Amino acid sequence: MQKEYSGIFVSNFNLQNYINILENDSESPEIRTFQAPYGQVLNVLLDNKENNNYDFGFLWVQPQAIIDSFNKLINGQLIPTSVIINEVDEFCRTVINFSKTLKFLFVASWNMPYYNRGWGILDLKNNLGISNNLMRMNLRLSDNFNDFKNIFILDSQKWVDAAGKDAYNSKLWFLSKIPFDNIVFKQAMRELKSAIKTVSGESKKIIILDLDNTLWGGILGDVGWENLRLGGHDFIGESYVEFQLGLKALKNRGIILAVVSKNEESVALEAISKHPEMVLKKEDFVGWEINWDDKSKNIQNLLKKINLGPQAAVFLDDNPVERARVRESLPEICVPELPKNVMEYTKALNLLNCFDVINPTKEDLERTNLYLADNERQKLKTELNSLDDWLKSLQTIVTIEELNNQNIQRAAQLFNKTNQMNLATRRLGESELTQWANQNNHKLWTIRVSDKFSDSGLTGIISLEIENKTALIADFLLSCRVMGRKIEEVMLNTVINYSIKNDIEKIIAKFSHTPKNKPCFDFWKEKSGFFFIQEENSFVWDFQSPFPEITQIEIKNNY
Amino acid sequence: MKEEIIKIILKTCAELNEQLKNKIDISKRENTELYGNNGVIDSLGLVNLIVSIETEIELKYGKSLILADGTSFPMNSSPFRTVNTFANYIVDLLNQKSF
Repeated sequence: MQKEYSGIFVSNFNLQNYINILENDSESPEIRTFQAPYGQVLNVLLDNKENNNYDFGFLWVQPQAIIDSFNKLINGQLIPTSVIINEVDEFCRTVINFSKTLKFLFVASWNMPYYNRGWGILDLKNNLGISNNLMRMNLRLSDNFNDFKNIFILDSQKWVDAAGKDAYNSKLWFLSKIPFDNIVFKQAMRELKSAIKTVSGESKKIIILDLDNTLWGGILGDVGWENLRLGGHDFIGESYVEFQLGLKALKNRGIILAVVSKNEESVALEAISKHPEMVLKKEDFVGWEINWDDKSKNIQNLLKKINLGPQAAVFLDDNPVERARVRESLPEICVPELPKNVMEYTKALNLLNCFDVINPTKEDLERTNLYLADNERQKLKTELNSLDDWLKSLQTIVTIEELNNQNIQRAAQLFNKTNQMNLATRRLGESELTQWANQNNHKLWTIRVSDKFSDSGLTGIISLEIENKTALIADFLLSCRVMGRKIEEVMLNTVINYSIKNDIEKIIAKFSHTPKNKPCFDFWKEKSGFFFIQEENSFVWDFQSPFPEITQIEIKNNY
Repeated sequence: MKEEIIKIILKTCAELNEQLKNKIDISKRENTELYGNNGVIDSLGLVNLIVSIETEIELKYGKSLILADGTSFPMNSSPFRTVNTFANYIVDLLNQKSF
């Protein structure tokens, strides 16, 4: 079943075509729309009623209809830029107040039709040109909204560019006050859906790549690495290099890369290591399955090794048969079409709108290194005799802190991204999280994990809601990167110790099943030590026995 | 010419269906009901249909028509009732207009 989100749509033009396109699009997620009466933008923005019923708001206004001084400029009057900017600031203040009634607000940037030439060759001159002022107005929107974590500006110029010269439709405008052609609305729909998926933590985390005719030109097994088409004075070779550069840029933004290819492993790794034009090096990949087995099976093995679910993955392969096979057997994986022509590969990669993040954190940017460190951990695990020996050898340190200004951004990100080890799967933004944690009967701890291989950073959260000597575990979530290393037990130990000190008599954890959090349920059922009450789908700790000591981990309580 | 115009209208209806909850049943070909008592499109749907058909006609015949010129038609004789009446209206306009 598709996820459904509801939004309030505010505009000073007729948005009905856009709404119809959004509501009738079959791609996930489904959007339920509420359209504020058009032409009454300020009334809607100034109405301070709570908009909690909606998952998001969307504001798309034409600049000349909302910024009066800019309208005068368009009509040939000489208006100082400072006057326009002051009016933009005033508008932004209203929008910011409106955003406080919503979880997220998406605001479309401003643009003008290409055929409005303004002052022609003077149009980019300071204090005169329409284009000059419009650029400043958009930058001002960006500056004013920059510190508001729930407001996102969507670049509408890209939607207009994609539609070309027919983006603005005069006939639709005069007949029904719809300024844009449907091509613009379709682009806007894709971007809005992408934005909703991003803020809901549905972004992809890993790209799984084929090798032959995907990362390089030619069949390695036939031609040898020396004769692959990659780089050099060759337009095909250059196209593959550019594609690899695009992938490397994504890797630098925190998207991890892996390889699944039908090849001899040793031959393929030799090509990756030795070819002088390879942009992607062995250490850029968190893992690989290079053999002659079915690719779906290999993808499953790979994802299992790195603790990611198929919904986090994108698979890129030049071969349509392999793509179809993976789509069929692993429907949760995103398998986009790759163009037949390699010169279009980078464009197709850049058009994928599933890798966005809300606030890139240190943990995001270092994700590949964190996975490589995990590979080292797993290697060590196979060398040691027992799980206990392995855990001890990792020299893990867990640091427990309360929520503060330094960790709120990452904490909110974890709330919105964690799927597998997540008890309640509550999705909260920064302000909601702060508000929740500040209530007197609520306690929330963040968990940082480091060991001799790497600092995994803030990777866990546990929180309590206390009523009459009973503590309800509201959240129990842990990044898949550190699952299965007794961090789960440390988190439970923390709440049990706190409860003992505060005379709490009972701890309850209510489990909310999702399609993705079975690992969490399994942990609670098999390893938590809590009693499971099936009828209530709850786990209970009754203090009859002490929580087992955790000797393999050093715990630092910074609260 | 009328056959070509019917094709254009049906193609445009199919495109419009992408954004309609209640789809236009184009299987009835020229007898497809559009706007009015038995039609499924509302006034905005009609505007979208008219604008798209004008564009298609201009591309195909190089002639610029204004299909909604502000004249109001009685519902029982509106040219937008069915694909057939719409096609007749367009053919008439194309024949009337000297280009």
